[in-house]
Amino acid sequence: MVPGQLLSDNGKRSGPGTYTLDGKVYAAQAGIPRVVDGVIRVIPVSGRYRPERGDNVIGIVTDIKPNLIEVDLGGEITAVLRLPERETPPLKLTLGDVIMAEVKSSGLRGVFLDPEGLQKIKSGILITINAAKVPRLIGRKGSMIQLLKKETGCDFWVGRNGLVVVSGRTASSEFAAISAINLIEREAHSQGLTERVVQLLKSLKGDEESG
Amino acid sequence: MKRVVKLIDENGRRVDGRRPDELRPIRMEAGVLEKSDGSAYIEVGGTRIYAAVFGPREVHPKHLELPDRAVINCRYHMASFSVDERKPLGMTRREIELSKVLREALESVVFVEEFPRMMIDVFVEVIQADGGTRTAGITAASLALADAGIPMADLVAATAVGKVDGIIVLDINEIEDKYGQADMPVAMAPRLGSIVLLQLNGMMTVEEISAGLEMAENAIKTIQQSQIDALRKRYRVEAGGEEL
Repeated sequence: MVPGQLLSDNGKRSGPGTYTLDGKVYAAQAGIPRVVDGVIRVIPVSGRYRPERGDNVIGIVTDIKPNLIEVDLGGEITAVLRLPERETPPLKLTLGDVIMAEVKSSGLRGVFLDPEGLQKIKSGILITINAAKVPRLIGRKGSMIQLLKKETGCDFWVGRNGLVVVSGRTASSEFAAISAINLIEREAHSQGLTERVVQLLKSLKGDEESG
Repeated sequence: MKRVVKLIDENGRRVDGRRPDELRPIRMEAGVLEKSDGSAYIEVGGTRIYAAVFGPREVHPKHLELPDRAVINCRYHMASFSVDERKPLGMTRREIELSKVLREALESVVFVEEFPRMMIDVFVEVIQADGGTRTAGITAASLALADAGIPMADLVAATAVGKVDGIIVLDINEIEDKYGQADMPVAMAPRLGSIVLLQLNGMMTVEEISAGLEMAENAIKTIQQSQIDALRKRYRVEAGGEEL
């Protein structure tokens, strides 16, 4: 779909990535159309991350104030983490720490992270991918990320904002994982992606064993 | 001063051999620049333009931000080497004006209300100028916005009509612009049926304007189809055979 393309004559079926005009639904973004529960949505193929409530995001601590921590979510978005008063922070965070947290609210007042379930990521390689491709990296019910975990033996933290941390025991396993992530980002919406990822990981493993 | 340039020959052909209602060859491509969120390149005859879009991102300087909608920041700029005689560096009065009209044309299709306190940067860089740079600039900028995944109601396309030797012609080039009688750039969101930019330099009668607008509308539909094709080509690999 491209912006302005007609999707449906029934204006009630307008979902994300679409708009209605004179009772008809049109696409507002470049993307792939999908019908979910009778609602038409356009899954965008590009675009920056927009924080939404409930998203699990990864960020870098950029500022620490008495009861407030500022976190950079990439894409020039800064989120705020408010720590409960008169309580020592559960984790000792310093500048430059990488954390994972849930978005509590997002709107005119800014983006707030939920201090509950906050996680500090201690080690790994931080990489950035296009946020529009994150759902493909996770896969249906986490199938793709489970596959990567199984095949490479690495641990993954995937932020909805496009920041991903890969942590493995060996450099070559981390390399294989990052190569696979790059492949997924490049060919996000193509068919037979899973097979190609398996093939890539296999060939990388073969190189390692023979070399 | 007596004019020596003859713009339309006895066969009704123009200086570059086109018929009055013929467009120059157009080529465009989306996603040509790596560091921007969206980009486009367009060639219309000898005119060559790059457009790049950043955002939506935080507003800088902060005082420009609006609480209910996004700010679009548009910069139309010509490279020093884009014209016959070196254009001095920096923004001329003309470039500042064109930046404004481009911004207003794009603001009318982009859903700016969806991004309060944000800014969308649009950069239009003219590499080579051969007439019709503002219209080609709008066409490229709107393609770059779509490539950046920014929600908008329609793709904006543009072309100019002009009056040359008393005849209404489509998509005028530099020579026709310089020596012709009138130049009227038109930008439209064709599927919304709205005109988002209309300027006129010179004199045309009411009949000539409506004839010109009709000519422009048909051409704009063709140009929009090339925009759609460019966008589909850009995401063909990712969409994996599925039609975008």
